[in-house]
Amino acid sequence: MKQTKAALWGVAAVVLLCTMTDPVWSADNTLCLGCHQDEGLSKQDALGRKVTLYVAETEFKQSVHGRLSCTDCHTRITDDAHAAGGKKAKPGVECAGCHEKAAREYRQGLHARAIVKGTEKAAHCYDCHGKHAIYGEKNAKSTVHPSNLNKTCNRCHSDKDIVKEHALGKGPTPGELFEDSVHAQTGAVTCVSCHGSHVLKSLIDPQSTVFRSNVPHTCGACHPEIMKEFEESIHGVLAARGRSDSPTCTTCHGIHGIKAKIHPDSPVNERRIALTTCPQCHAAEQISKEYGITKGQVKSYYDSFHGLSYRGGDTFSANCASCHGVHDIRPSSDPKSMIHKDNLQRTCGACHPGASVNFSKGKIHTIASIAGEDFGEKVVGWIRTIYLILIVCVIGGMTFFNFTDWLRKTVDRKP
Amino acid sequence: MTVNPDGRQRDNFKVQISNIKLGRTEKGSMAKKYLRMTWNERAQHLNLFINFTILVITGFALKYPEAFWVEPITDVPLGMTFRGILHRLSGVAIVFLGGYHVLYLIFTERGRGILKGMIPSLKDALDLWETLKNNFFINRPAKNLKMGRFNFREKFEYVGLIWGTLVMTVTGFILWFKEAWLTIFPMWTYDAARAIHFYEAILATLTIIVWHFYSVIFNPDVYPMNWAWITGEMTEHEMELEHGLELEKLKAEEKKTLVKADEQTGSPGAQIYPMRDAGNRSPVGRIYGTVRDLNKNIKDWKGG
Repeated sequence: MKQTKAALWGVAAVVLLCTMTDPVWSADNTLCLGCHQDEGLSKQDALGRKVTLYVAETEFKQSVHGRLSCTDCHTRITDDAHAAGGKKAKPGVECAGCHEKAAREYRQGLHARAIVKGTEKAAHCYDCHGKHAIYGEKNAKSTVHPSNLNKTCNRCHSDKDIVKEHALGKGPTPGELFEDSVHAQTGAVTCVSCHGSHVLKSLIDPQSTVFRSNVPHTCGACHPEIMKEFEESIHGVLAARGRSDSPTCTTCHGIHGIKAKIHPDSPVNERRIALTTCPQCHAAEQISKEYGITKGQVKSYYDSFHGLSYRGGDTFSANCASCHGVHDIRPSSDPKSMIHKDNLQRTCGACHPGASVNFSKGKIHTIASIAGEDFGEKVVGWIRTIYLILIVCVIGGMTFFNFTDWLRKTVDRKP
Repeated sequence: MTVNPDGRQRDNFKVQISNIKLGRTEKGSMAKKYLRMTWNERAQHLNLFINFTILVITGFALKYPEAFWVEPITDVPLGMTFRGILHRLSGVAIVFLGGYHVLYLIFTERGRGILKGMIPSLKDALDLWETLKNNFFINRPAKNLKMGRFNFREKFEYVGLIWGTLVMTVTGFILWFKEAWLTIFPMWTYDAARAIHFYEAILATLTIIVWHFYSVIFNPDVYPMNWAWITGEMTEHEMELEHGLELEKLKAEEKKTLVKADEQTGSPGAQIYPMRDAGNRSPVGRIYGTVRDLNKNIKDWKGG
């Protein structure tokens, strides 16, 4: 009992010490602020631009660094010469002294590399975190608080000049796209959720979170079940092997502007999946050749009842995903595949109650042709040929007969 | 209207001139008309007309979903679903109409007469042959063909209609009840049924447009339209042109009955219309009368 009481007193003492902040333990910054409190204080940088040297004291005091002395960060000001004679201070602050881990990560990241290469506008620590008014990331005033982070990144990444200079793409900027996305609506997902923060790396860096084959893992951080399904699918297997034409999450879902699937603009919306999303690869000449899917699955679907009705706007009609699955798409040879011979009856039966075993026999994606491989393709090919001959002969004959009839009656009417 | 069977064209010309000059005279209004389609038959035709049109539109709307004329269907929420339902409904309507028509042919006297008149014969082939010779200007002057109650054009179309309805009904029901069908038959039969249903639809639609529309609209003898599907009647002149044999038969019957009947009453198969006062008729009737007279004048016009 006594021990517990003593512990409580100890805790109280620590709490008291921690809450008793400035001015008692605050470093004495009066010397610096004597000059830097002047709002008009400024200098010219190398390009002749005016740079303000004003430091708002109250703002700084409220910041997460409020208890530090100026020289804790401005480590290059070593003596009083700067203060005494207004001598120009050496620029630069030292964050790494305290933030060792962040600095190490940052030095490996894309921004640091860009600075090393001489890019003027690549982000330094203070570009994202602010200078004197730095707050903890959980503080809503912080530039890196989830609610502000999009804005912080897009100060540069949606700046038309910077985007143009760094060839970051035409059209809507990542920030604009992200603002309309389902991730932005959650409020919890920000740029750094996918790109990483200090360690943020280039798209072509294999260690980058947004490198092609790392994308499923990056998304899987929040969507682990789907990632598991996807990794076992034919798309996931091929993507993991480094096939650059095999889709990952972003190929179908979009990138910055990812929408919920009920959104009409979402590429995985049921109205678009079979019109644009799957055909972007499965109707593409190059990929079809490479993977031997030259039989025209997309074309045969479009000409089937399912495809025709779907093209007309019918959402009850089967689209690609209805039969092939979504994340766990597997080849028909895989016994776990929805379109494996043994599972086909059940797959069709989802919409066609009482689907017989005949549903699972014979080719589905047929292209009618007399020279077709499948018996059904041949039959339909012959039906088409015979009917086309019949139509041309019968309708052509009728047209010709009617024309002669009309001509004769017209000639006979001539007075 | 008097017609000289030998020199039809010239005589008609003179008769028409006198008609036009006289306007709505006793002679013009009292021109003899022959019953071509009863109310029942006109209703059957109208039913077929409406449902066939619906089937054509809703059917090809599926095959060509991006065509501009399909937009009214695809723009509506659930448009494609309603399209399918409407297509099936109209299909069922035509199947019932077909069933009714069969009963009509068997159990009514008029129906049996139609069936008898529809039987193809050697004379139809000869009529076709002579028409071809007329049309190729081998017969000069063109031979005046006398055809029966149904001429070869109509018989051909009727046979085509029966064939088409059967094919479309069978394949249509396969497509509709595919689950049941596929319990017995393999998948390729379904694909075959789909193909047949589509190509037969093209054939049927084009037949109506090319063959039927020529017969009843674009044919210079009936242009702008054969009104029998609305009025149920054909004029003596129209009968003369397309059903000469039938006209002779009707006239012979008329003569027989005239011996017994009162001169004032109408004879079977023909009606005598009294002159009607335009003032007492409904506006619709007056417009219809005006259009009919105008059309008649256009139709019978022999050039300037």
